[in-house]
Amino acid sequence: MKKWFSSRTLVTLMVSFLVIVGLIAGSNWYAQRRSQPPFFQRVFNDINATISKAIAWPTNAVGSRANSFANLLSTFEENKKLKAKIDNYAQTKVRLQKMTEENQSLKKQLGLKHTLTDYDTVSAVTISRAPTAWDSQLIINKGSNAGLKKGMPVLGDQGIVGRIAEVNTVNSKVSLISDNSEDANRFAITVKGDQGDVNGVISGYNTDQKVLEMGQVTNPQNIKEGDTVVTSGLGGIIPAGLYVGKVANISTDNYGLSKKVYIRPSSDLNALNNLLVAKTQMEQ
Amino acid sequence: MFSWQFSRLTILYPLILFLLFFLDGNVMAALTPLLLGGSFHILPLGTLIWFFYAIQFELTKDMPFTVYVILIGLFFDIYYTGIVGTYTVAFLVATLLMRAVRPYFDERLLSALLLFLIGLGAYLGLSYFFSAVVGMTSLTISQFVYLVALPTAVLNLLLAAVFYYPAWSLLQRTH
Repeated sequence: MKKWFSSRTLVTLMVSFLVIVGLIAGSNWYAQRRSQPPFFQRVFNDINATISKAIAWPTNAVGSRANSFANLLSTFEENKKLKAKIDNYAQTKVRLQKMTEENQSLKKQLGLKHTLTDYDTVSAVTISRAPTAWDSQLIINKGSNAGLKKGMPVLGDQGIVGRIAEVNTVNSKVSLISDNSEDANRFAITVKGDQGDVNGVISGYNTDQKVLEMGQVTNPQNIKEGDTVVTSGLGGIIPAGLYVGKVANISTDNYGLSKKVYIRPSSDLNALNNLLVAKTQMEQ
Repeated sequence: MFSWQFSRLTILYPLILFLLFFLDGNVMAALTPLLLGGSFHILPLGTLIWFFYAIQFELTKDMPFTVYVILIGLFFDIYYTGIVGTYTVAFLVATLLMRAVRPYFDERLLSALLLFLIGLGAYLGLSYFFSAVVGMTSLTISQFVYLVALPTAVLNLLLAAVFYYPAWSLLQRTH
């Protein structure tokens, strides 16, 4: 019988396989522990992002034309609906302004400096998106020079879309809320039910149905479809009250023990050109 | 003409390769609603197509091809994912495989596309395997095949076919 590999090749193959798996797992582990990547990697990414920005200009122009053409088709219907909604918002906005003022003066009276709901925002633009199937990562044009830190939440036009995964000097990587890797989606959230709040964490993302999963819910009787989900602020780095989405449906988990709550994210995760990074003021 | 042949392979080829590396990410960001609309997940693989052309037109011996492959793989890992190894190995194995089976194929377009499909399969399969190792993907193999691999293969085969003859006339050996 013809031998396909010599024993030397076999040994080389096996060793290189182990080295590669070790390298991947090791660098993954290392990246999660560090707040900033090593100097070399940071400089490398900064240079790349600068070049990428130049190339992004024409591609973004083409992309936004194509997208706006697609949007144009549904504009008429949308416009009708939005007009009906907008009157309501004006009223809510005035009320919100009044409440914010009142809240601030009350805080002053109490001597509270900053609470979990206070945050500043830094606006950023998407430069690039990883052309890979699952690590849903974006690269944005703000980095540690704009005061960004690993773990800060990133907001789309309607609510939270992800968090900062890696900070370089003039750009950062954002891992989206749809990222399924182990540590990416542990957002502390609260479901605002009619009979009180239910706290929990986002435990995963269902790629098929495009919904977030909230596992191990202990008192699901308080939750019903359509309830609003916001960040709870527990853990400190993510401010409270950022809009996450609405409850899409509730199901019992595989073992019939606790319930799983599925949440439809508020922002379209596929149209993220302009983003806001929320900086909590708690630590300052 | 020697100098044109020389500059095509030593300057133009790596330059376009480098450009495509950025273009893949930029296209992904700019055309997300089209590429990721619905449940499908279509990846632009311009870099891989460019490597395939070099193999198909038998130019790998005229340039430091393996060095290019490893460099682009490392660039991919560091810039896009931050995890070193996955795409370096995926690119390396995909190109090695295409080079190994290249002698059994010829210059016809369909034969060339089959060769590219083999490389693309190896590339996607390996990146899936390694992501599964570090627990980054929750897709099952069947979901991966019909949501990611098939749509990606369709788009990139189309691209590879469209640019096949232009690339051929640009890169063909004159000696």
